[in-house]
Amino acid sequence: MIEVQDVHKGFGHTPLLRGVNLSIPAGARYGIMGPAASGKSVLLKLFCGLLPVDAGTISIDGQTVTGLSESELMPIRNRIGMLFQNYALFDFMTVADNVAFPLRRRGQLDEDEIAARVSERLRRVGLAGSEDKFPSELSGGMKKRVGIARASIAKPDLVIYDEPSAGLDPVTTSKIYDLLLADQAETGGTVIAVSSDIEALEGFCQTIAMLYQGTIICEGDAGSIRDADNPIVRQFVRGDLKGPL
Amino acid sequence: MASRAREFFIGVGDTAMNVARQVGGIVILFYEVVRALLPPRLDLRELMRNMLKMGYMSLPIIALTAFFTGGLMVIQSGIYVKQFNASALVGWGSGYAVFREIGPILIGLMFSGRVGANNTAELGTMTVTEQIDGLRALAIEPIRYLIAPRVVAMMLSLLCLTIIGDLIALGGGLLFSKLILNIEYSTFYYSLVDNLTPADFIQGLVKSVVFGTSIALTSCYFGITVRGGAVGVGRAVNAAVVSAAVSIMLLDFAVTYLLG
Repeated sequence: MIEVQDVHKGFGHTPLLRGVNLSIPAGARYGIMGPAASGKSVLLKLFCGLLPVDAGTISIDGQTVTGLSESELMPIRNRIGMLFQNYALFDFMTVADNVAFPLRRRGQLDEDEIAARVSERLRRVGLAGSEDKFPSELSGGMKKRVGIARASIAKPDLVIYDEPSAGLDPVTTSKIYDLLLADQAETGGTVIAVSSDIEALEGFCQTIAMLYQGTIICEGDAGSIRDADNPIVRQFVRGDLKGPL
Repeated sequence: MASRAREFFIGVGDTAMNVARQVGGIVILFYEVVRALLPPRLDLRELMRNMLKMGYMSLPIIALTAFFTGGLMVIQSGIYVKQFNASALVGWGSGYAVFREIGPILIGLMFSGRVGANNTAELGTMTVTEQIDGLRALAIEPIRYLIAPRVVAMMLSLLCLTIIGDLIALGGGLLFSKLILNIEYSTFYYSLVDNLTPADFIQGLVKSVVFGTSIALTSCYFGITVRGGAVGVGRAVNAAVVSAAVSIMLLDFAVTYLLG
């Protein structure tokens, strides 16, 4: 269970999040959508303590994440996998080493097992044969898929995906969301996905929230989001040119 | 007039605050690196990778610089050596200057330009592309995994490069003494070994360790505090090189004053 209570976050004198409240049940597939620069990626970074909050609290399974030191956050981060918007692949490592990195750092598997897991993961994201390439040799979509493989390979309790389908073609997008669904069914973990691809989120998430001007203005299942009375949500979901956005 | 004076003082104040912030940040980074190294749990693979890249790959440029620096000192002193018939002092003079000052400072500055700047650019790029956050998200402390091995590698690399550079500079001095001033090799050699003490050599080595630590900390600090994408990385590299050069001069003064 992830509880977000009245979280505020700003940069300099510019407030970005102005009192976000969320309650995400354990094992849920939760989507967050919103216009560009609405603070979605920042909110995700707050979940694993990569940024400090200005006010408010975030707790994961009853353990408060906010206000902890880096060393206190380490055990919590060990249970989290994260895909960054800009992939955050280590450019001095090959694709295989990037994907294997979380497993190697945990030190629970031998190299043969790690290699098998890496091959399986890369095959599932459609990158079999790319093991020895470096990130600089990959396209944006390929980097995204390596990032997804790295975020999910250790089967964490909570996986956070920042724009998992950005830059991918429709077929690959479907494959990726199928993979995310299969992973979640296998581990039973919680998945939080941020995306502007409403259709993809609708197919994947049980609950979707919309972040706008620093607060959650709407939350519900895909159907209720589609039928929302809020003109901002309606315009965003339908992609209308006319409206308050 | 009053507003100009006000702007001047605001500018001075901003600069002072900025310098204080940077010095404070570097001191805190030093503390964190020391803490990460106690008890010693260094990532040896990362350490070796860095020593190869930073030390071994710098050897040609350091050797070239050192060789001609040794020769240059002989050329500069040539007029006076002839005038005062002081050929017996050339070996001592070269060794004293190389070991105590020229070797550590010149090699330190070359090292800062080549390795420090590269280190800042690399860490800066990792910062702006969220790779540092990526490490933290994977429950890895960037200081322990990325920074501490680099600081140790740069410190050890500069120490080794200074020892090698000193010897090559003396070799250059020896050769050019013969070629330009017609001083026998044996004269140069005995002038060197009879007049220099281990303290002369050790002082240079202490300086190289201090300079290496300083270059490493400044380059890492400016790398991991980059803001503003590619432009920010450029600014950080510039700031790191300037800060390293200034710190080398200040620390040289301090070490020379303390060790005599």
